[in-house]
Amino acid sequence: MMEVFHTVSTKAILLGNEAIARGIVESGCLVATAYPGTPSSEILPAVAKFADELASPMAVEWGVNEKVAFEMALAASFTGVRSCAVMKQVGLNVAADPFMSAAHFDLKGGMLLVTADDPGPHSSQTEQDSRYFAMFAKVPCFDPATGAEAKEMVFDAFDLSERFGIITMLRPSVRVNHCRQSVDLGEIRTRDEEAKFVKEPSRWVCLPASVKVNHPRLNRKVEDIRTAFETEFSKYNYEVPAKKESVLGIVASGVSFSVVMDMLKGWGREDVSVLKIGTPHPLPLKMVTEFMARQPKVLFLEETYPVMELQLPDRTGILGRWNGVVPGAGELLPEVIASILAPLLGREAGPGGEDPLLKQALEDLKVTPRRPMLCPGCPHRASFFSIRQALPNAVNPSDIGCYTLGVNQKAVDAVVDMGASVTMGSGFYLAHKASGTERPVVSTIGDSTFFHMGLPGLASAVYNRHSFVLAILDNSTTAMTGGQANPSVGTKLRKGDEGRKVDIEGACRGCGVTFVKTLEAYDVRKGKEVIAEAWEYARERREPAVVIFRHPCMLLRPEQSSIPVRVDPGKCIGCKFCINFFNCPGLVFNEETKKAFIDERFCVSCGVCVSVCPHGAIEAVQEEGR
Amino acid sequence: MQYVIVGIGGQGILFTSKVLGKIALDRGAEAIGSEVHGMAQRGGSVVSHFKIGDYQSPLVQAGEADVLLAFDQGEGIRNLHFLRDGGSLVVNIHDEKAFENPNLLEYLKKRGIKVHSVKGYDLLREHMGGNFLFLNVLLAGAMCASGVTDLAFDEVAAAVKELSPAKFEDANRKVLQLGYEAH
Ligand SMILES: Cc1ncc(C[n+]2csc(CCOP(=O)(O)OP(=O)(O)O)c2C)c(N)n1
Repeated sequence: MMEVFHTVSTKAILLGNEAIARGIVESGCLVATAYPGTPSSEILPAVAKFADELASPMAVEWGVNEKVAFEMALAASFTGVRSCAVMKQVGLNVAADPFMSAAHFDLKGGMLLVTADDPGPHSSQTEQDSRYFAMFAKVPCFDPATGAEAKEMVFDAFDLSERFGIITMLRPSVRVNHCRQSVDLGEIRTRDEEAKFVKEPSRWVCLPASVKVNHPRLNRKVEDIRTAFETEFSKYNYEVPAKKESVLGIVASGVSFSVVMDMLKGWGREDVSVLKIGTPHPLPLKMVTEFMARQPKVLFLEETYPVMELQLPDRTGILGRWNGVVPGAGELLPEVIASILAPLLGREAGPGGEDPLLKQALEDLKVTPRRPMLCPGCPHRASFFSIRQALPNAVNPSDIGCYTLGVNQKAVDAVVDMGASVTMGSGFYLAHKASGTERPVVSTIGDSTFFHMGLPGLASAVYNRHSFVLAILDNSTTAMTGGQANPSVGTKLRKGDEGRKVDIEGACRGCGVTFVKTLEAYDVRKGKEVIAEAWEYARERREPAVVIFRHPCMLLRPEQSSIPVRVDPGKCIGCKFCINFFNCPGLVFNEETKKAFIDERFCVSCGVCVSVCPHGAIEAVQEEGR
Repeated sequence: MQYVIVGIGGQGILFTSKVLGKIALDRGAEAIGSEVHGMAQRGGSVVSHFKIGDYQSPLVQAGEADVLLAFDQGEGIRNLHFLRDGGSLVVNIHDEKAFENPNLLEYLKKRGIKVHSVKGYDLLREHMGGNFLFLNVLLAGAMCASGVTDLAFDEVAAAVKELSPAKFEDANRKVLQLGYEAH
C-alpha cells in the first residue's frame, strides 16, 4: 500500500525506507529487486513509486526469494548497469551463497545490497548483525544513523562499488528503516551506461582457478577501501570533540550514535568525545586508534555484534562487548545506553525506571503487554482450527508468516525458517519411520513462503516418498510483511507492468503430488474432513498430500457476508475451548462471569466462531446489535 | 516536544506520526520519529515515537516524553514510564474504573502527570455507527483540545485532510471536531 508523499519544495517527510528508495532511484539504478521482510519491506514498493514519478526506465521486481532477487541484480551488474538487491537480515542467509561469490568478482555496474537488521528483535527469528556478513565476505559496509543519512549513503555506496568493482552493503537497522524524518528530494542523476555484457569467461565464471586470482585481489580492495574510508569519507566518519577536557571517548555507529548524541545533549555533558563511524567495515583503523589514544577510556557502541570491536588489533583496553560492559544481545535502546553511560559519567540514569507504584497498579489492573495475534476474521485461524480438530495428535511443523501466530491456537509446534515446514514434515516422518512408529504430521505454510522455499522440500518429499500433509494457507498475499504480491497473486510493482499468476495446485502436481484439494478456509467442517482424508491418503500411499485452504487476507478488505454473532450466556459453560483453540481478539473470556463474550471493538462478524463452540453457545444474530 | 504514541496493532497509530510529521514539515521544523511495522502490528502492543525539534535519534528515552497519546488505556498505563515528570497522558478509555486504582492515582500524583481522557469507543458508537477506524482522528482532535501541545486545530485539520483519501474528508472533519469538543 503506497501513501501520498508530502512535499514542500524539495523536502518531504519520509520513512527511512522511503528515503533509501529515493536514493536508489536518484542514483540511476536500473534493476532493483527484493524479497519482502521486516524491516526492509517498504523499500521496493517505494522504489517503484518514485521510479514512476521520476519516469525512470528501471526494472523493479520481487524475486520469489532473496537468492533469486540477489542473483537477478548481480547479473544486471555484470552488464554494466547499476543494480540493487534489498532484503532483511535473515534474507541474506538465503542469499549467502551468491553473496559470498559476488564478493570475488570484479563487478562492472555498481551493485548495492541493502540488508535491514532487526536488533530487538521486533519481527525476526534471529538478531544477527549483517555487518558481520560483510566482514565475512570481505565487502565494504555503510551503517547509517538516520534515514536521511541512509539516503546519502546510497549514492556513495554505488560510487564506491563502481570505483573498486565490488559489491557494497548498506546496513540500516530497524530504527533507521522505520524512522520518519524530513529528507531532501532530488532528481535522477543521469548516467549513460546501458546493458552491455562482454563475454569474458575468466571474469564471469567462478572457477577455482579464478579464485586464486580473485581472492588476493579482494584482499587488496579491502585495504584500498579502508584507506579511502580513513581519508575521504569524513561526512560519515567524524569526531564530535568534547568542549571541555574529555572524560570518556565513545566510538559509535548506526542508531547508537544518534541516541548518544541526544542523550549527552539532554544531560548537558560537554566532557565526552564521540567518534562516529558510518563505515564499520573495513574499519578506518588509523582514525579509531588515534581517537582512542587521546581518550582516558573508550566505550564502543554498535548494534548488535562487536564488529568494530573485533577489528581492533587489541580490544582489551576498551569498554565494550568483550568485557560485558555492553550487553551481548538485545537492542541498544536509549534506556540501555543510559544505564551503560550513567555510571561511567557518575550520574543517575534519570527518571523512567521501574516504579513500585506503577508496577502494583499494573498488577491490580491485570495489564500485560499484548502479544501479537491473528487479526479478527483471519482465514488462518479457521484453517488451524480445522487442522487441530481433525488430528489432535498430529505434529504440526509450521513456517514463517502471520500463521506462525497459530502457536496461540496450539496448532504450531515447530518453526525454524522459511520453507522448513515442508522439510520438517519429512524429518518428523523419517524419525518415526526409522523408529518403527507412526504419527500424523500436518505442516502449514503460506502462499508466499511456499514459493520462497517450499517447493524444493516438496519435490524432495515426493521423490523420497514421505507421508505427511502439507496445508498451504493461501490468503492471496504476503501478509506478515504488509501485503506484497507473490507468484500466487501475479501483480507487479511498477505501473503498467503485468505479471502472470503461478498456480499453486499446478505447481504441487508438477512436483508429483497426487492428492491436491482446495477448499474455503472458513468452512471448518469441510476442513476437518479433508485434513483427515489427506492424512489417510498420505500414510497409505506413502507420499505427501496437499490441502490448500483459500480465503483472502483481511488486510485486503475482502467483500464477504457479515454474520454478527453473540455468546448465549445460558449455553456457555465457561470451558474456554474457543479461547484455547480459536483464539480471536473478538472473542474474550470474562474472568468474573466465567463466560465468553464478543468484544465488539474487535469482532468483524466473519461468523466462523459459530461452528467452533462444542456447546452451540455462539450464535449468529439477525438484527443489528448484539 | 517529544511524543510517544501507543496502542494495539491495527488501531491506526501510525497515522498520528504522519500528522505530526506533516505539521512539522509545514512549520519548517526539524522532526524525527520511529514506528513499528511488522509482526507486532498484528494485534500486539505498538509504540511510536515522535520528536519535533533539534534531535538526532528517533527514539524517546523513558522519562522524557512530554505527551503520551494512548489509543488503549491498558497500553497507556503500561507506558507511563515514558513520560517526564509533569508530562501529559491523553487516553482513549473504555473502562473508567481503572483510573480509580489508588496505586495508579498515587503514581500519577507523585510524578505530576496530567490525564486527559476521551471515551473514544462510546463517541464513535454514538456518532459514527461504531466505526472504530476513526479513533486516530478522534484522538488527534482530543489531543489538540487538551492544550498539552502547541498544535492548533486548523493545523491538525489541514494535515488530516491532506493525509487521508478525499472520500473521508467530511467524516474526518466531523470526527476531529467530535474529539476536540469531547475534551
Ligand atoms: C528468509 C526470510 N525472508 C523474509 C522473511 C520475512 N517474512 C516473514 S513472514 C514472510 C512471508 C509471509 O507470507 P506468507 O507465507 O504468504 O504468509 P502470510 O503472512 O500471508 O500469512 C516474510 C517474507 C523472513 N522471515 N525470512
